[in-house]
Amino acid sequence: MKEVILDCFGEACPVPLVKAQNKMKEMAVGDVLIVQIDHSCAMKNLPDWARGEGHNVEVEETSEGEWEVIIEKTK
Amino acid sequence: MSREKKVEQYDVVVIGGGAAGMTAAIYAGRARLKTILIEKALVGGLATYTNEVENYPGFPNSPKGEDITNLMKEQAKKMGVEFKLTDVKSVDLCGEEKVVETFRTTYLAKTVILATGGRPRVTKAENEENYLFDKGISFCATCDAAANTDKTVVVIGSGDAAIEEGMFLTRFAKQVIVSVLHNEGKMDCNEIAREAAMRNPKMSFVWNTTVKRFEGEGHLDTVVLRDLRTDEEIPVKCDNCFEFIGYLPNTEIFRDQVKMTRSGYIITNEKMETNIEGVFACGDVRDKWLKQIATAVGDGAIAGYAAEKYIAESETFHNVILQKDKPGLTFIYNAVDAESREFLIEIEKIENHFAGRIAVNRVDIYKSSGVADRLNVSEFPAVILTVEGKVRERIIGQLDAVEIIRQLDSICLECR
Repeated sequence: MKEVILDCFGEACPVPLVKAQNKMKEMAVGDVLIVQIDHSCAMKNLPDWARGEGHNVEVEETSEGEWEVIIEKTK
Repeated sequence: MSREKKVEQYDVVVIGGGAAGMTAAIYAGRARLKTILIEKALVGGLATYTNEVENYPGFPNSPKGEDITNLMKEQAKKMGVEFKLTDVKSVDLCGEEKVVETFRTTYLAKTVILATGGRPRVTKAENEENYLFDKGISFCATCDAAANTDKTVVVIGSGDAAIEEGMFLTRFAKQVIVSVLHNEGKMDCNEIAREAAMRNPKMSFVWNTTVKRFEGEGHLDTVVLRDLRTDEEIPVKCDNCFEFIGYLPNTEIFRDQVKMTRSGYIITNEKMETNIEGVFACGDVRDKWLKQIATAVGDGAIAGYAAEKYIAESETFHNVILQKDKPGLTFIYNAVDAESREFLIEIEKIENHFAGRIAVNRVDIYKSSGVADRLNVSEFPAVILTVEGKVRERIIGQLDAVEIIRQLDSICLECR
């Protein structure tokens, strides 16, 4: 199980989502991807996509207007 | 890099970030309890699907539901409530310490407030997802009836909710067309509602039908029904459609622990207490009569307050009633009972007799039976004697001061 951090600060939709989707393909089941974002729309589409795929998702507001979307690959 | 699950301690864990959960969190936070609210999707709950909230007091300008819930969130944060956006995977509520698991963290809590709400059941007909909520398919006549003044609406369903809400809609709408699954004249609702509906000139019925498809450019304009006997399609032009085919509470993960109705709503008393001590439920997830932001807020206030009282009572119980310094005497009485009150004088005599060698507590169950429940005492008056924080003797009903003194004497002897 490894943890990968994906820095998407300053990037607008749909860039964080696409980057996360590509990164997830390289990862193994049980790995965790942490996507750092500051664009609030990614806070919706990224978790929505990951949940829809059946992965475990958690969103953490790390500071005002900055979030980490934490995704555990489940399949 | 492997990762271990974090363990975090809280006074209050609120599951669900709708109006009920946030109000509970505001009350808990304001009582200086360490509080976290866990929400699986977006904070605000079902209220965020409403474009105009006209009946929540204090907001005369018909704000969006989201505007109201965003203010609630701001207020909760001001009270020190933490928010965590993730799914709750499982719970273990039965012990004194409650366990709430998310995929990265294990939360240990003194109390848990269940505010997971529910979702309206949908027909699963074609294109339904394109018209949900503000695009033509509604689930709440109380919310949206006024917006349908002089319009034509379709109602799906024939249960109590469907027919009663349909009747309510006839006060506004020009025409209410009801799709019923059953043969002509048969409905799932009660007989009084059925008769009233059949007599209502604004109501008409399409029997033996279900929804096949929803149609419209951007906004719904036609509901295509299907005749169950002939398979024939019946297009019905309308301005809006109301689905009343049930509501599904989000209680799957609490099953087998929390007591629920047959349809999965959590049963509480008026203090929002569930069957498990320290576990409260509030809002739409609860078996209740009217589901509105206003009632969710009321529920939440009670649940937050009740959680605070429960924690205070727990602390009193462990630190005062079950203190370990001295042998203890706890007198449990009901202040409205004269006999109980009279024995208070005897208790005072006993206290004076031992001159500080024992700890005496008086618990009036008239205000709250919490301490008595924890001591498994259901008859009053009662005297409980404790040694080193453990119950030694329960004396219930006929109390005799001399006998109590004798027992305490022997306890004091062995403690020396």
